[in-house]
Amino acid sequence: MLPFLAHACWRKLWTLLLISIVSFLVIHLAPGAPSQIDPLNPRFTKEQLTRYRAAFDLDKPLYVQYGLFYHRLFTGQLRAFKDNQPVLPKILQRAWNSFPLFVVGTILVWCFAFPLGVATAVRRDSWFDRATTVLVFALISVPGFYLSYLAIIFVVQTFHVDVIGIQTFGREATGAWGQFMDRTWHLVLPSLLGATAGIAVLSRYVRSQMLEVLSSDYVRTARAKGLPEDAVLYRHALRNGLLPFVTMLGLLIPGLIGGSVIFETIFAWPGIGRLGYEAILARDYPVVIALNFIAALLTVVGTLCSDILYMLVDPRIRL
Amino acid sequence: MTPRARGDSPGWLVWRAFRRNGPAVVGLGVVLGFFLIALVGVALTKGAQPVLDPREVRLPDRLQGPFARPNRVAVPAASWPRLGVYLFGTDELGRDVFARMLEGAFVSLSVGFVAVGLAVMIGIVLGGLAGHYGPVRLGLGRVRLLTVDTLVTGIIDVMLSFPTFFLILTVVAIIKPSIWNIMIVIGLTSWEGTARFVRAEILSLREREFIHAAQAAGARGPRLIFRHLIPNAIGPVLVSATLGVAGAILTESSLSFLGFGVPPPDATWGNILADGKRFIFDAPWLTLIPGTAILVVVLAFNLFGEGLREAFNPRLREG
Repeated sequence: MLPFLAHACWRKLWTLLLISIVSFLVIHLAPGAPSQIDPLNPRFTKEQLTRYRAAFDLDKPLYVQYGLFYHRLFTGQLRAFKDNQPVLPKILQRAWNSFPLFVVGTILVWCFAFPLGVATAVRRDSWFDRATTVLVFALISVPGFYLSYLAIIFVVQTFHVDVIGIQTFGREATGAWGQFMDRTWHLVLPSLLGATAGIAVLSRYVRSQMLEVLSSDYVRTARAKGLPEDAVLYRHALRNGLLPFVTMLGLLIPGLIGGSVIFETIFAWPGIGRLGYEAILARDYPVVIALNFIAALLTVVGTLCSDILYMLVDPRIRL
Repeated sequence: MTPRARGDSPGWLVWRAFRRNGPAVVGLGVVLGFFLIALVGVALTKGAQPVLDPREVRLPDRLQGPFARPNRVAVPAASWPRLGVYLFGTDELGRDVFARMLEGAFVSLSVGFVAVGLAVMIGIVLGGLAGHYGPVRLGLGRVRLLTVDTLVTGIIDVMLSFPTFFLILTVVAIIKPSIWNIMIVIGLTSWEGTARFVRAEILSLREREFIHAAQAAGARGPRLIFRHLIPNAIGPVLVSATLGVAGAILTESSLSFLGFGVPPPDATWGNILADGKRFIFDAPWLTLIPGTAILVVVLAFNLFGEGLREAFNPRLREG
C-alpha cells in the first residue's frame, strides 16, 4: 500500500513540475518576443511594455524568469496588470464565489447521472433506453450558451424572476426569506446548466460500465443462485461498477473550471471563470497564467485524492 | 479450411451490429447529408460570382424574417436573393442568412475535420509509441531516467490537468484567432483520449497470437506498429474521431460566443449564432436557426460515434 502511495505522489510531483513549465511557457507562444505581442495595436503602449517586461523579467534567462514568476506568485508579489492587486488573493476570492456553483452543480450531476445510467443499462434497447440516449446526446450536443439563452428567456417570462448575477440588486430589504429565495433562484439556473453536460456524459459512462458489469460471470452467478433482481443490481453489479468513477472525481475539476467560463459569463456570476474571461479580454497575463496553473494544480491534487480513495475502496490494489 | 463468407468479415459484423441501432443510422444519414450540404454550399457560395452571395450587404433589408421578400424599391434587382425570398431571413447587415449558413457548413466541417485529423495523428503516434516502445528507457549516456511509457503518460496527465477550454481560450487570445490557429489549437489540446485508447489497445494486442506470428515472420518497429497493431486498434480511434468532430464544432461555437472564434468574413455556424445573440428578441431566427443546426449536426456525429462504439464492442454486440 505504501509503495503505491509513494509512487502516486512521485508521479504527481513530476506532473506538477511539467504543468508549471507549460503554464509559464504559454506566454512565450506569441510570435516574436512576447513583449511585442501586438506592435501595431495602438492600445499597446510603451508603458504596458515596460510593465510586461518587469512582470515577467523578460531581460533575464528563461529559467530565471520561470523561478521568479512562481516565487512572486506564491509570495503575493505578482500583481494583476489591470488593477495592480495581488493575483493570488484575487483568484481565491473569485474561487470562493464560484464554490456554491461547483458544489450544487456536482451534486446535481451525481444525483441525476447514476440513476439515469443504471436505469438505461438495465432496460437496454427498450424504447426508454433509446429515448434517453437521444435526449442525453442532445444535451451533450447543444451549445451551452444557446441552451442558456433559451432557458433564461423561458424562466424569466414564465416565473418573472431575475436570474442574472449572484442576487437581485437592491433586494436586501425584502427580509431573510425573500433574500434566500432570490439567492436560490440565481443559483439554480447557472448550476443546472453547468451540470447538464456533466449529467449527460457521466450517465453514459455509468450505462456502459453497468453493461460491462451486467454481462460478467459473477452477476450471472448471483442470478443463478436465485437472488432477487434488486440485490443483483445494486449489491453485486453497481458496487463493482462504481469503482472506475472514483478515479474520475479529480478529472472532473478541469471541466468545471473550463465550463464555468461560458456559464459565468452568461449569468454575470463573479466567479473564477468570469475572472479568467475578463483577464483574457484585458490581456491581464499574470492572472491568466496563474489561473491556468492553479486549475491544473487543483486537478492534480484532486486526482491524487481519488487515487488514494481508489486504494481504499479496491482491496486488490493493497495487495 | 473453407474460405470465409462475406458475412463473416470483421467489417461486415460491425456493420450488421450498427444497422440495428436506429438512432445511430439516422445519425449517419444526417452526417452524410451534412457533407453533401457543405459541398453544395462551397459550390454555391464561393467564387467571384457566387450563385448565393453570403457577403452581399443590403442595408434596406436588415433583420428580415424567414421567407421575407426583398424590398424591391430600395434594393437593386441584381441583389435580390436567387430564391425570390430570404429563406432563413437576413442579419443586421441585410446579408442572406441562408447563404451564410451554406458557407458556414463547410467552414464548420473543415474546422472539425482538420482539428480532429491533427488530434488523431498525434494520438496514434504517441499512443503507438507508448504502447509498443513503452519499456524502453530514455536518457543520456549511462543515466537512464525514465521510460517511453512514463514520458508519454506523463504528457497525457499534464494535458488532462489543464481546463482545456480555458487553455484554448488563452492560447487563441495570445496568438490571435484565425481559422487555422483555431483548428491547430483545438487539435493540439484534444488528442489525449485517442492516445490513451491506442496505448491501451496496443498493450492488449501485443500479447495476441497474430502479433507473435508477425514478429516471428520478422516484422519489427514501424512495420509492426503501422501494419499490424494500429489497423487492429482502429475501432476506438474511429469512435473518438467521430466524437471529436462533434466536440470541435461545439468548441468553435463557444469560442465564437466569447469573441475568439473564426473571425469575419468567414461565416461559421458558431459565429452566426454568436452575432445573432444581440438580436435575440428582435430577430430570434438569427439565434434559433444556427443553434438548431449545430445541435442537429453535433447530435448526429455523437449518435453515429456512439453507434460505432457499441458495434465495435464484441461484448455488447450480441444482445
